[in-house]
Amino acid sequence: MSRFNILFARLNALVGRESVIHDIDEEFRVHVEMETAANLERGMSPTEARQTALRSFGNLGSVRDAAYEVRGGGMMETFLQDVRYAARGLVKQKTFTIVAVITLALGIGANTAIFSVVNELLLRPLPYLDAQRLVMLWEVTPEGRHQNTTSRANFRGWREQTTSFESMAAFTDQRLNLTGAGEAEEISVQFGTPSLFHVLGVQPILGRDMREVDGAKDAPPIAILSNSFWQRRFGGDPQIVGKPILLNGVPFTVVGVMPAGFQWHIKQRSGTGRPAEIWSALDIPTEEGPGSRGRFLSVVARLKPGLSVQQAQADMNTTMARLEQDAPRFNKGYVTEIIPLRDQFVGNVRLALWIILGAVGFVLLIACANVANLMLSRAAAREKEIAVRTALGAGRLRIVRQLLTESFLLATIGGLLGLAIAAWGIQALVAISPRDLVNLQRVGLNLTVLGWTMGISFITAVIFGLAPALEATRLNLTGALKEGKGAEGQSPRSGRLRSGLVIIEVALALVLLASAGLLLKSFSQLQKINSGFNPDNILTMVVRVPDAKYKEDRQFVSFFRQASELIRTLPGVTSVGMINYLPLYGGLGSGTGFTVEGRPEPAPGTEPSTNVRVSDAGYFTAMQIPLLRGRNFTDQEMNEVKSVIIINDAMARKHFAGEDPIGKRITVEMSDKPVPTEIIGIVGDVRYDSLVDPPEPTVYFPQPDLTYAFMTFVIRTTGDPLEIVPAVRREVRALDPEQPLSDVRSMNEVMADTVARARFNTLLLALFAGLATLLSAVGIFGVMNYSLALRSREIGLRMALGAQNRQVMAMMLKQGLLLTVIGTAIGIAGALALTRLLSTLLFGVSAADPTIFVGIVLLLMVVSLIACYLPARRATRIDPMIALRSE
Amino acid sequence: MAKNKADLLQGTLDMLILKALSLGPLHGYGIIQRIGQMSGEMLTVEQGSLYPALYRIEQKGWVSSKWDVHDTGRRAKFYALTRIGRRQLEAEEASWDRLVLAVTKMRQAT
Repeated sequence: MSRFNILFARLNALVGRESVIHDIDEEFRVHVEMETAANLERGMSPTEARQTALRSFGNLGSVRDAAYEVRGGGMMETFLQDVRYAARGLVKQKTFTIVAVITLALGIGANTAIFSVVNELLLRPLPYLDAQRLVMLWEVTPEGRHQNTTSRANFRGWREQTTSFESMAAFTDQRLNLTGAGEAEEISVQFGTPSLFHVLGVQPILGRDMREVDGAKDAPPIAILSNSFWQRRFGGDPQIVGKPILLNGVPFTVVGVMPAGFQWHIKQRSGTGRPAEIWSALDIPTEEGPGSRGRFLSVVARLKPGLSVQQAQADMNTTMARLEQDAPRFNKGYVTEIIPLRDQFVGNVRLALWIILGAVGFVLLIACANVANLMLSRAAAREKEIAVRTALGAGRLRIVRQLLTESFLLATIGGLLGLAIAAWGIQALVAISPRDLVNLQRVGLNLTVLGWTMGISFITAVIFGLAPALEATRLNLTGALKEGKGAEGQSPRSGRLRSGLVIIEVALALVLLASAGLLLKSFSQLQKINSGFNPDNILTMVVRVPDAKYKEDRQFVSFFRQASELIRTLPGVTSVGMINYLPLYGGLGSGTGFTVEGRPEPAPGTEPSTNVRVSDAGYFTAMQIPLLRGRNFTDQEMNEVKSVIIINDAMARKHFAGEDPIGKRITVEMSDKPVPTEIIGIVGDVRYDSLVDPPEPTVYFPQPDLTYAFMTFVIRTTGDPLEIVPAVRREVRALDPEQPLSDVRSMNEVMADTVARARFNTLLLALFAGLATLLSAVGIFGVMNYSLALRSREIGLRMALGAQNRQVMAMMLKQGLLLTVIGTAIGIAGALALTRLLSTLLFGVSAADPTIFVGIVLLLMVVSLIACYLPARRATRIDPMIALRSE
Repeated sequence: MAKNKADLLQGTLDMLILKALSLGPLHGYGIIQRIGQMSGEMLTVEQGSLYPALYRIEQKGWVSSKWDVHDTGRRAKFYALTRIGRRQLEAEEASWDRLVLAVTKMRQAT
């Protein structure tokens, strides 16, 4: 109550200063009148009565001030006075203010932008009910492949035999062609067990959820639409529920629409590599049957409350051991792993993000050091003013408070400007961020981010303001007043403080530069990796034919061949090929076990396995994958099943070491009735899954032998591959007007996407390291310049006594470089300790790479040399006469 | 030094003002008069001390004020004790009594 009163009175006094003073004056006037009247009654003359009354009040002005102070004028008044004073000071020193504000705005802006990403990806709860209890369940293959999909039989085993989970759902992504009303297009469809949305704790906003019956075998197919798809394709039609849509020629009944913003996409092992737009029910057969052992399911589960991942893992281990005993042929050597959902989404981005946040933190610290240095110079220039104020009775606290007000004002302006920079920076970040970085679209300036910005602004104000403020008020009064030129009265402590700040800046900049340098080198190593093909001038696109339209395999095989023939005749096209799964396309390929004719059956768990691709003869030509031995597919082999196969070099080396694989027959277990095929050729290795992993054994089936309803065309062109897109589209349409093309990209774009994350990290760190270096250079320059101002008399004296330009220059450079050398030494120690954190992000370069470190040190030396040279050159131009007389 | 003395007085002054107002609302001039009367003219309060003290205890919520018409027909600002003020007065009187008692005992203990 009373506290509130005081606050209110203060606010009132602040807002209505005039009215409070008026109120006091009025009250005093009434008082004087009353006393005058009383004095009159006592028999005084009117003049005497009034004067006595006034006298009894004492000094009316000071009483009024005291009264006003009590009524709340005090604190706010002083504060406003400080702010006004600070603002005046900042306006007067425009250069200082602009430099300081920009420095702070850059630091705060960069921090805010990065923090908003960190907040979104690492701190904000995931948009699912109780998301911290959601986990992904994966298998690890006997070969050590992590986060591998499981089979329907195993999923059933997990669901029935584990006790740690409240609920569990399996899902798999597929691309299907949507036809009927509107343009035909390829849609990513997620088939999930009916429990999927229940596990995630999300319900459709329109229609109904999937039901158990929808997942029964032979149940009529249903579709639940994503909100964006519903808006895009059906204009948000509220009557959509109950209508059929055609997917691959099969009618699916729409039963529901999901809420806006709902997304459920696990990139790892996704069959489509992009978020689903339609969900449908997946059936899990209760008995063993064809396909129940194929591994293609991702599994999400909800932990029971209070259960840890470790406890659940133990449960999964026992369950999997039991499943292994039940079906050793399929499960020998397989184990499970549980990944919390957040880790699944963020994965290795987490480390990179913290590192980048740390980097911008460093940048902000450097910015603070710079501004602190500027403040110190300013305080030094104002030493006399401060001394006078102290002499006139201003307490140290009062002056510190006043100087701090200035810092806060600077930080506030810097923070506001920083916010603007951040708003722009976030957009830029989203624009350059790798396409697969989760939900970056949601990143923006929200309350948490604003709070962060405010927090760091105030902390920076204290960091860069307090030391100079304390330093400035520590001065020796008489000394400062007596000194003619103020500046020379600077205490050595202040000089040490500034040197210390520069050393810290250089050290921080070095750490950032080293990190950026390592990432840059790693990135260039990544670029140098031989992918096994030539990605230049290649256009890629996916063509998927609807099953319903082409009833027989032969029909779509011939469709693909016709399309390929037509495209080949286009001007500017040199060769055309096709493959089912493009290298590095970002999704799953297929792989399986195989046996070699004439070799004894291997023990369970030790069967050799291989990646499997389907291609045509043109693929190797178009991609420029060298044929190492044997021959390519013939035309005849492209038209009818001849049971031939091409293998890659890794396969030959791993499974046919010391023998000639050509002519050997192997049986790849890709179909229900696998047949032996003859190896006719060996081609060079291609990196399919990722650039960094070594190539794995791979076999290529010719198209007729293993048919897929989709193919990725690779078209080598003489010019810019994207220029022929319209022509290609025309040719395919001519063949079938309803046939959609998807993922039309150049091979270089595909490649760029695979290194997008590395590029993103590298780009950001390089940017911040550059900023840090620039700010440090400004810092060194500032200190040297200031030191020059302090020493101009000394230098003048030296020159008068015969010092040469060269010697003066050397003296100045030595001073500056000494700071750099000390900073560098500290920085190297820090960098060696910190870059180890980077090592998992590095490829082909050690975290302590000597060339990088030497290079960075040289770079910093050169930068600081330049920053020192400019003031040093000015030092040599000092006219001794003027310098000496200036006193 | 001077400040300490003022603080000491201030505490007492608060009690005197509250006491003066305990008989009914008064304006500033009236408070000075009433304190004079009640103390048998032994205590005089200066305006320079009264008003800051008055404003301070008003902010503490012990008294409330409003502009009103005086019986002489003039407008004046009247102060009245609030409930908190009345409790505060009782508390201050009690502590004052204890102090007096203690000081008396000390003096008698020579």
